[in-house]
This record gives sequence, C-alpha cells and structure tokens, in this order.
Amino acid sequence: MAGIRIENVRKSYGAVTVLRDFNLDIADGEFVVFVGPSGCGKSTMLKILAGLEEASGGRVLIGERDVTDLAPGDRDIAMVFQNYALYPHLTVARNMGFGLKMRGMDRGEIDRRVKEAAKILAVDHLLDRRPKELSGGQRQRVALGRAIVREPQAFLMDEPLSNLDAKLRVHMRAEISALHKRLGVTTIYVTHDQIEAMTMADRIVIMRDGEIQQIADPDTMFARPENLFVAGFIGSPGMNFLLGNVTADERGARVSLFGQDVSLPVPLAAVPGIAGRPVILGLRPEHIGPAHGPVSFAVRPRLVESLGSEKYIYVDLPHENRGAPADAKGADDERRGDALIARLVDAGAVATGEPITLSFDPARLHVFDADTHRAIR
Amino acid sequence: MSTQSIPAQPLAARAPGRRRRFGLDLARPSRRHWLGYLLLAPAVLLIALIIVYPLFISLDLSFQNVGIARLDQPRRPFTLANYERLFTSAEFWMACWVTFKLLVIVTGACFVLGLATALLVNNRFRGRSIARLFVALPWAVPEVIAVVIFAWIFDSSFGLMNWLFITLGLTSQTINWFSDPDAAFAVVAITMIWKGYPFVSIMALAGLQSIPEDFYNAAKVDGANAWQRFTNITIPTLMPVLGVTIVLVMLWVFRDFSIIYVLTGGGPLKATQTLSIMTYEQAFGFFKMGYASAVGIVTLVLCVLASLLMVGRRAEAMY
Repeated sequence: MAGIRIENVRKSYGAVTVLRDFNLDIADGEFVVFVGPSGCGKSTMLKILAGLEEASGGRVLIGERDVTDLAPGDRDIAMVFQNYALYPHLTVARNMGFGLKMRGMDRGEIDRRVKEAAKILAVDHLLDRRPKELSGGQRQRVALGRAIVREPQAFLMDEPLSNLDAKLRVHMRAEISALHKRLGVTTIYVTHDQIEAMTMADRIVIMRDGEIQQIADPDTMFARPENLFVAGFIGSPGMNFLLGNVTADERGARVSLFGQDVSLPVPLAAVPGIAGRPVILGLRPEHIGPAHGPVSFAVRPRLVESLGSEKYIYVDLPHENRGAPADAKGADDERRGDALIARLVDAGAVATGEPITLSFDPARLHVFDADTHRAIR
Repeated sequence: MSTQSIPAQPLAARAPGRRRRFGLDLARPSRRHWLGYLLLAPAVLLIALIIVYPLFISLDLSFQNVGIARLDQPRRPFTLANYERLFTSAEFWMACWVTFKLLVIVTGACFVLGLATALLVNNRFRGRSIARLFVALPWAVPEVIAVVIFAWIFDSSFGLMNWLFITLGLTSQTINWFSDPDAAFAVVAITMIWKGYPFVSIMALAGLQSIPEDFYNAAKVDGANAWQRFTNITIPTLMPVLGVTIVLVMLWVFRDFSIIYVLTGGGPLKATQTLSIMTYEQAFGFFKMGYASAVGIVTLVLCVLASLLMVGRRAEAMY
C-alpha cells in the first residue's frame, strides 16, 4: 500500500486540452472519488494514473516512486473497468488469477490467493463458471476479485457500478466501501454519480472541463461549496439559485427575496465589494421548510411530486429573483431559472395550486459572485 | 342499472373501413411466421432445383455405369463398380494427396498471412485506409484475371519471376514453372494463397475490431506483454470467427476449379490434379459421368466431415 502524488499533470490532444495542472496528494489507504460530468477529464486522469494514457506533462508518484513513464504492468496497481473486462474464454478462477499468471507466480500460490479473494467476495461457488453464466452483480464481484488477488499498492476503479441496476448499485456501493475498510488499500474511484461520491469517499475531487473545482470531504463539499458549479453538482435535487441585488447598510448586506428583505450571511469585510451589485444566492431544497420561520413566504405550488416519505414542491420564482445562470451543468436535473424546489418531509397534504406557506433560514443561504461564480464568505 | 344487450355482430361489419387482404392477413400475430416462409420460398425452390436435385441425380449416377448421362434414358442397373474402381485407382489417391497438400498449405498460409495483415492494418497509422484497401485488393480481382496475371508472372520466357530469380542470382537458367511437377504445384499454391488470404484478413479484421479495448487495457494493467496479450486475448477471442473462416477457406480450396484449370489444367503428370479437377476431367474429358459422380460424392463426404470437425468444436457462443 502506498500514497499517490499527482504533480502538475496535463493532457491535451492536439489543440484540445482535457486536463489542466492537476495536483493531488492522496494519503496511504485513502478512498478518493473523482466526480464530474462526462468529458470533465476524470477518466483520462485515471488512465494516466494506470499508465494507459501518456500525460502531456507533470509527474505521477506512487509510494514515492516516480511511475510517470512506467508501463501499466510495472506500476503495481489494479484496475476495475466499467464493463468489467472479464475474458469470456476463461473461467472465473482463471480470470481472477490472470494477472498473477502473467507475473509468473506458481500455480499453488495463485490458487490460494484466488480462493481467498473469492471467499471475501462470496463468489467461491462460481470459480468454474464462465463470465457469460454470471449475473451483472457477480461479474462485478469477479472484476473486484481480479483486482484484489494482486494485492496491489492501489486500486483504480473506472465507474465500476454504472452497468448495474439501481438497487444492485446501492448494494455494491456498500460492499465496495466495506471491502476498502477491510483491506485498507488506497483507492481512486471515478464516477459521474454524486451520490456514489458522497456515500463512499473519504475525499471528493470535483472536476469540470479538465480542472479541479474543489477537493474536500463529502460533508464540507455539501456545506461549503466553493463555487456555483460545485454547489449545483452536489445534492439531489440540486441547489436552487436565485438572483438578487445587494443593498448594503451598517448591519450588513441585504437582498430582496420573495419580496422580503433578507440579510445575507456574509462577513462585513465582504460587503463593500458586493454592495449595489447582483449576487447569486443558493438555497438547498432541504433547507426550505413548511410553515413559518425566519423568512416566510406564501406561494401556490406549480407542481407537487410525492416520493412517499417526502415531497418535492415546485414553486415559481418572483421575476426579480429569476435569471441566475444555469451553471450547474451535469447536475441531476436540468435546472430552470424560474423555479424553486422545496423538499419537504412529513409535510402533510399539499396540492398543486393550493396556497402554502414556506420558510427558510437566511443563515442557510450560500452567496456567490454573479461574475466569478465563486462563493463569498 | 342499465343492462343493454349488444347484438352480436360479425367483426367485419363493426369495422366498415377495414380492407380485406386476399383472405390472408399476414399482420395477425398468429400468422406472422408465414411471411418468413413466404419470403424464403423462392430461394428454397431455386436451391432445390439447381443444387439438391442435381445432387441426388449425381448420387444416383455414381451407382450406375454411365458414360454420358441422359435423363430420358432408362436407369442402368445398380452397381458399386465406380467406387471399387475409384478406391483401387492410383489416380484417385494421387488426387486426394494433392488436394490434402493444397488444403494444408493454402489454408495454413492464408490463415497466417490473413491474420498477420489484419493485425497490421488494425493498428493506427497514417494511410491505414489505403493499406486496408491493398490488403483486400486480391479478393476483389476476378479469379480468372488473377490466374492470367500469375500465368504471366511465372511464364518461362517473359515472366517476372524468372527475371527476379536470375537477377538475384538464385538460378543461372530460366525455370520452366509449368513443366516441373513441384514448381507447378508451388505456382498453384502461391496463386491460391494470394487469392485466398484477403478473405481471412477481412474476417479477422472484423473480429479484431469487436474485441473491447478494455480487454487489452486490463491485460496491460495485469502486466501482460504484447505476446501474452496476443496469445491470451486476441487468439482466443478471435477463435469463433477464425474457426468459421478456416472452414470456408478449406471448402474453397476443395472446390476451387478455375485457378488450377487455367494455370496447369491439372498437370504436369497430374501433379496439380485435385479432386474437383479429376471430377471435371472424368465427366467432361472422358465422359465417364458415373465414375465422375462417384469422385464428386466422395469429395462431398470429405467436405462435410472436414467442416463438421472444425465448426462443431467452436460453434458455441462465447459471450
């Protein structure tokens, strides 16, 4: 096992740059998730780590050893692929032992390790089968088994769960987390699914257009997004964005939301910079509550979606608060600038078109610069 | 509660706009498979007429002592004489041996050459499409034209090959390619390989392109070198395609007639007379159609056995 250090890694295909100055230090035994919309460069970075792609610049160190120009087989890493990449002509046992056989390990030792890994993953009864005779979840386990028999310095996983159905995905997510706790091997996991990232990661790396947007643990990522993109990407349903013009006085900055004067949670020092300018305000759907609160407003829901345990209430935004850029590309839903979603638990009966009072706490507002899209704190 | 009785109406009367389709509605789910049979019928009839029927005729002929077969003549008495003569004839065993040699050499060389060129043009390089075109070119050249080209290349007086051999100092005098049994066999084999390898190449290339890139990536991460990747991934995953391709090439060698007939006519000294040439010679050279039919039937049995052997083993789906 070892830590991984990525220093100034760049990658471009001709004029197209897919990775810019990627820097990351991964501690020994850490579970790091690269997440971002498709085309953000996360898979490219993983392939560079594996040695399957050449970096245009920068260095990769695994356990203090510079592996930038080493062949994939010499890096002592194991990789799990999205489509499992199990060889159809080999049995499960031989698929799992393939890497060891290529390294010239003797058969007894290969058998021992394969059996041990198969037992951990509960596939020991499938060892003589071919991949085509396995279900999706079983194939996924075998692919994991092929990685763990190698006892590598690090695991690289490239969207390993995206070919599974929703229920199995939740189950395998927990299994991979448990496996990581048990083995303690440094793991880098690539996904486009923010829920996978939130549930599994020690640290999340959010990427967009080849650039790192933020590196943080899941809770920080949710509570203190550094920019509009991160704010919109993390959370489901995504954060609501409202536009407001700042008026400043001696008590701080204020904006008008739903026709009410709301004071912004920004430090006094930041107030002069934004006074008189528009800002984008982020409010998470789960931070909007039913009934009265610090800031209450009466609305008629445009649409009510019930999930049984909770309800999503869609509300039209007042004209003065519309027009926040839909910058949260890659978020789960295609956000529209004219609606706000509230996520209410145990809200009782709410009907479309019927008046309802909603409220939020201004301290929960996230404030972003309308030009730079960076958080103002 | 209102219970209104609806008078029982025939279906057609309730849907007045519906057209009747010749009384045979193929769109009905229960009749959907009829369409398949209908579409297949012309092809099946044609094949029955020009392949199956003659096959049975020649099977029948092979058990009769017939010179020129005529359908308006009464059937001759049943006899095994053709087969007795066949299995005791040195010429037949010679033809079997020539066919076998060609089969092994041509199929083997086509396999190696086809796979090698497919691997080559499967790589990414500048001018790959042109290279692919050149690899497939011999396949597009009509067989007879290919034969004429090779007949000129190996011409003893004006041929390119003799010029090359003399220029390179491999021989001091011209080789008469078509009068030496070994040389003639070599010329036939080379021509057949040239004409046959692109088929293997095209099939292998199609197979190669269907191998997921991640198989190779996974193997690279597992530390497999290029040769290990070739033997452990490329060959096994290509095997279903290659198995069928080899059978098709073998059958082609078995039945090919024009290359040998135009190049050497089966000579010299029957050194290039395969079973198909022998069948033709006996039937239309010596007008011994009963005997020729026997040769043909034996060839058919050999072909069926050979393809069963090859296809049966690899037919199961891999994925």
